[in-house]
Amino acid sequence: MALQAGHKLGKALLQKNQLWNVSKNIEKCLVKQYASAELENERPKNKVTEMPPMNEPVKGLPRPVYASFKEEDQKTKVTILSNGLTVASENRFGAFCTVGVVIDSGSRYEVAYPSGISHFLEKLAFNSTKQFPNKDEMINNLEKHGGICDSQASRDTFIYAASAYTSGLSDIIQILAEATIRPQITDEELLLARQAINFELETLNMRPEQETILMDMIHAAAYSDNTLGLPKLCPAGNVEKIDRNMLMDYLSNHYSPKRIVVAGVGVEHMQLVDVVQKYFVDINPIWGKEGKIACDDSIAQYTGGFVHEECEIPQFASAGLPVLSHVVIGLESCSHQDQDFIPMCVLNIMMGGGGSFSAGGPGKGMYTRLYINVLNRYHWMYSATACNHAYSDTGLFCIHASAPPTHLRDMVEVIVKEMVAMPKNISHEELRRAKTQLQSMLLMNLESRPVMFEDIGRQVLASGQRKRPRYFIDEIEKVTQDDIVRVAKRLLSSQPAVAARGDLRKMPSLEYIQAGLISRDGRLPSGKKLSLFR
Amino acid sequence: MASVLKFSKSFSNLRKFDNIIKTSSNKIRGAATKAEAKTVVLNVPPTRVTTLSNGLRVASEDWGSQTATVGIWIDAGSRYEDDSNNGVAHFMEHMAFKGTSKRTQGQLEIEIEDLGAQLNAYTSREQTVYYSKCLAKDVPKAIEILADIIQNAKLGESEIERERGVILREMQEVESNLQEVVFDHLHSTAYQGTPLANTILGPTANIRSINAKDLRSYLDNHYKASRVVVAGAGGINHDELVKLTEQALGSLNNNYPGKVPEIAPCRFTGSEIRIRDDSLPLAHVALAVEGAGWTDPDTLTLMVASTLLGAWDRSQASAKQNATNLARASGEGDLCHSYQSFNTCYKDTGLWGVYFVSDPLKLDDMVFNIQQEFMRLCTSVTEAEVERAKALLTANTLLQLDTTSAVCEDIGECIFVYPLDLLVITLICL
Repeated sequence: MALQAGHKLGKALLQKNQLWNVSKNIEKCLVKQYASAELENERPKNKVTEMPPMNEPVKGLPRPVYASFKEEDQKTKVTILSNGLTVASENRFGAFCTVGVVIDSGSRYEVAYPSGISHFLEKLAFNSTKQFPNKDEMINNLEKHGGICDSQASRDTFIYAASAYTSGLSDIIQILAEATIRPQITDEELLLARQAINFELETLNMRPEQETILMDMIHAAAYSDNTLGLPKLCPAGNVEKIDRNMLMDYLSNHYSPKRIVVAGVGVEHMQLVDVVQKYFVDINPIWGKEGKIACDDSIAQYTGGFVHEECEIPQFASAGLPVLSHVVIGLESCSHQDQDFIPMCVLNIMMGGGGSFSAGGPGKGMYTRLYINVLNRYHWMYSATACNHAYSDTGLFCIHASAPPTHLRDMVEVIVKEMVAMPKNISHEELRRAKTQLQSMLLMNLESRPVMFEDIGRQVLASGQRKRPRYFIDEIEKVTQDDIVRVAKRLLSSQPAVAARGDLRKMPSLEYIQAGLISRDGRLPSGKKLSLFR
Repeated sequence: MASVLKFSKSFSNLRKFDNIIKTSSNKIRGAATKAEAKTVVLNVPPTRVTTLSNGLRVASEDWGSQTATVGIWIDAGSRYEDDSNNGVAHFMEHMAFKGTSKRTQGQLEIEIEDLGAQLNAYTSREQTVYYSKCLAKDVPKAIEILADIIQNAKLGESEIERERGVILREMQEVESNLQEVVFDHLHSTAYQGTPLANTILGPTANIRSINAKDLRSYLDNHYKASRVVVAGAGGINHDELVKLTEQALGSLNNNYPGKVPEIAPCRFTGSEIRIRDDSLPLAHVALAVEGAGWTDPDTLTLMVASTLLGAWDRSQASAKQNATNLARASGEGDLCHSYQSFNTCYKDTGLWGVYFVSDPLKLDDMVFNIQQEFMRLCTSVTEAEVERAKALLTANTLLQLDTTSAVCEDIGECIFVYPLDLLVITLICL
């Protein structure tokens, strides 16, 4: 039988007049027998793997027993441990869980320190710790459970997270606890973090996307020198300045149990509570006692203002990238606990926008106002996007636009006009569309386990509980035209914050943008003589 | 390799697959009554596959969620083109969104936007894919729309003219992405003289000249029932999806107007293309050897080997520890800004290698290290390293199957080549 198969293979090869090592293939056929039709079909190869082709089942595989699922309204379970640390979790199917630590910490709390502490902590995360004096050991432990880990610093929240097989939960929580409250921060690790930050700052300037830098700039303009206005990116001057003592001091003051939520998706709640107790409560942090300095609990002060940087975008024009100037105009919106929060999100979707040339078909908001009134109308506009940042005590609504420097003034005028028009002529169709899109966007984002983890962690950190997606769906449904008019007027009553980057020779001044925003039709004071005052 | 043969082959696979599914569902029941010696409990839903009478396959996973992704995978792409019509597959993908006999472009767009859904498509060298992400309750609507745009595209003259400009602009966009440029050059030299050497977008001359007749003939020759898979994941009931597909795509046939199009094996040629531009700050390089095709037994082995090379970039602070050999060398020697290994599979061949971005003065050292690592993998890779790479590969594969879109894409791609879904395939690694 086997010989016969080999013979057929030989014939097939000869028919194709190919000079392959026939005998070698026959040898393999002695091990595996193939149907002749498939042989003729297959290009013979000198395969090295002792397995059938990938389109045939492998012998001796374990038999799979699959799960089946019902639509089930899960509940987020929340437990507060003896030291004040909160544990929140939700079960979910899948072989993997995502667990992590969400901390009320970030660049907004860095006022008493050199800016960049959080940026450093982000780069230093998952290095050597008390229990794992060598990083390899920790990562090996993580990999044993198919795990990956990551850390992320934002303005008001710091996250350490890991995804791994659910069976490895205990080890994963140990690693997370070690990384969060028992890091060693050695000199060598600091050196590597400095290198990584320097490299990141360098690449950020080289890349055509300006998002990260512009977001730091617009926050600096909106919250001048306080809380959320402090830079998230480590300023170049601080890279050499920040040392272990400062970092440890910051950690001991900010990583206190009351500011920490351990959240999990795809885990049994009680099991999670047990291991968190073991590694977060029963074992002390590396800094022993909590720090004595009170954390900066100031409420964000919205100031408005203008932050700009004259530079070349892109840095290397030869790569065929278009030369652009970027402008972000921001207005004070509201906190995520505010009653206007949901209408504000609907307004954000209604404004929508994107790139004038972006990949992707319908569904990216092609009928939002920034597409219809801006991108489809002005061929020189490169991009225009609305976004809304919400924090525990304030919020920032902004429109980011880019165009060639020659059209900078026109671009600002168009954006200001759209902002002034926000409370006007809201059609039933556009509101309905925006509401549906926001609802589906919410559910689609929550498909992903890490997103759901972050949602649980942030919500529980902010309010001690997690509101169900259902709640938000219903709240979105309730939004009316009057709500949109109300929140749009609320936005327009604030001072503008403006950030600009690129060739800014045609950039109008902040005063003109202010004048435009309070005028009836959003027109910037016109007349050529105005350019004298630029 | 006649494509008729290929189809009969995939049918035979499919029957096998059906058996697997059936027996496994029996096993669930069996497991309740008597203990099975060797079973593995997967905390995921099974992939169910049904073949319609016209040969079209429907595959889905029911995740019971409130959202879903459904898509149409077609065994057609730039590989089926020649020099004269290279670009037509991609052009067709664009025209599908420009209105059908049932709805205008505007109606189509508003319909999708109003559902809060997304409609998208892409063309690769061997596949053309149209898919939609939507709320689970809107799946019937999404299937109807997808079926409409692939069967009834209007292909109006003025729309075609307008789309030429859009595709040329897209070309500009691709050309400003140096990674894409490098991979196009890699294909053009590695598969020189074969259809795999062509780009997906096609040359400018073709984009300017492709007309309705070319597009129509492409549709007639490639959008055939037995080469189509409808895949779905998320809040999807398989039986309902089968019914919906039958209604929407049941009339798709397998009749070819002329000769059945066939694809010839693509010959790999070791060779190189260098484009020197001293005005660029960094060099972008892809270095590959011939890998294995999708169904080749060595494919998984090569994926593991690719994992052994790993990936790295300078923003990772801690790469000096616990990284792959190449990552460590890159970090310690400051050899490059970033690199990533790749393993690109086609039906009968593949490209396996490393893509990296480095300072022009470091090129020599980087290439030396890559080659050294290639050779080390051949001779002295350790058992522990391999075990670690296998575990990483399995975990990463499973981790990626996190959203309905990712799962749907996995199903759509796999059904063409594997009788088993990738989940089970990766279990082999364990």
